[in-house]
Amino acid sequence: MSEFYGYERSDGSIGIRNFVPIIATAPYANDTVKRAAEIVDDAIPITHPLGRCQTKPDVFQTYRTLLGYGTHPNTYGTVVVAHAGEIVDGDELADDIAETGRPSASVNIHREKGVMKGLEATVNTAQEMVQDASAMRREPFDISHLTFGINCATSDTTSGLCQHKATAGAAWRLIDQGGRAVFAETPEFFGGEDGLAARAVNDKLNQEILDRVENWDQRLRDTGYDVRGAQPTPDNMDGGLTTIEEKALGALVKSGDGPIQDIVDYGEKIPDGSGMYIMDTPGHGAESVTGIGAGGAHFMVISTGQGHTLSNAIMPTIKITGNPNSAERVPEETDIDVSDALVGDASIEWATDQLWDEVMEVANGKQTLSEVLGESQFAIHRIGPST
Amino acid sequence: MGDSHIIVVDSTDNLATAVRTVDAGETVTVDIGGTERTITVGDDIPFGHKIALTDIDEGETVYKYGKSIGYASEPIAAGDWVHVHNVESNYGRGDQAAEQTADG
Repeated sequence: MSEFYGYERSDGSIGIRNFVPIIATAPYANDTVKRAAEIVDDAIPITHPLGRCQTKPDVFQTYRTLLGYGTHPNTYGTVVVAHAGEIVDGDELADDIAETGRPSASVNIHREKGVMKGLEATVNTAQEMVQDASAMRREPFDISHLTFGINCATSDTTSGLCQHKATAGAAWRLIDQGGRAVFAETPEFFGGEDGLAARAVNDKLNQEILDRVENWDQRLRDTGYDVRGAQPTPDNMDGGLTTIEEKALGALVKSGDGPIQDIVDYGEKIPDGSGMYIMDTPGHGAESVTGIGAGGAHFMVISTGQGHTLSNAIMPTIKITGNPNSAERVPEETDIDVSDALVGDASIEWATDQLWDEVMEVANGKQTLSEVLGESQFAIHRIGPST
Repeated sequence: MGDSHIIVVDSTDNLATAVRTVDAGETVTVDIGGTERTITVGDDIPFGHKIALTDIDEGETVYKYGKSIGYASEPIAAGDWVHVHNVESNYGRGDQAAEQTADG
């Protein structure tokens, strides 16, 4: 039995961090959130341009994503900051977070009578939560509690040949010990969907994977333009990737070849059962990783070709590359360099060991390079128009 | 023995990926599922880019990982650099859908 040292939550989940997010429900609360997080050390600002004047599918998606951050295993407690009355309701969000037993508070700038009093209320509440969080101690838990997030970033042709194999190896090592893993980016299944669907645990899921891929291809065809440039991106093409199919066939390597348990919607909670899951997201990394964070993955392995700043605030983000040029060019974005398995004499098994050891250290509290630099993005995928 | 820095993923592929730079005119030996083939490279190949293993006619499928990664948009000769200038995708082609709508 392998263990890690984590923080126990009253809903039974175990965190590898003890964060206090301050969440804006709409852009008009963003500055209050950012200012409060500058004052309160260790509070995490979650800001975005959504949450107001959205149609219902987007309201549900925004709400579900924000709730996912408030109830994330790595979240100790949350301060929700609303500007006024919003369709993404701050009081409701704070109440839903509190239902998981986590400390939760709602600040409404209008109710507080303006931004200064709103800021004061936010700071005072977050200050108390951060101090209470710091009094908790890590305890040992079985690693089967962990969910392994997987995403690629600025893929190139090395990705599918090397670092994605190590990523899959480490993810399946966790699954084999009772844990779970999740990958996403549905447009990056194009051309490999038949092989992926064949890994589904039942016929219904097999068909659902094919339907979701076709749905994305239809959305892209409906634009009336060739998707090249958006997929693959200019930096993908610089790295040798020619078409979305080539990018996708490489991207799928990071999920290994074992069975797929289920596919969930954007930002939906990852089921409790052990195994490999898919989240249906765009290939845009900031959006897919934000969705996976809401789904409750404890940490994120970003398997990159050309190097990338892509990181997440709630999930420690470990970046691995097998491209020796990238590892040399952007060392501050390279937690793990496994290029010896591509251009040297090392094996993929060795590369997998390097990543696995880092994952376990990060689970126990070691900060990743992006955590140390305070680098992160937050971008909820939007479905339809604002109104 | 094949060049370990020029990788053929699947023996049915009609291209290889170079994980070193290759100069135009260089003769390289690649391992295609245990069989060696010698190819004279026609273009400078940047790190990570691809080399055609066979002649590929315009419209013919380009294979990597044993699967289609698109089709040749112009004739490609063995040893040529294979990239966006001579391969097109079959997915996300709103441009083709729009043309069909206009034609129809």
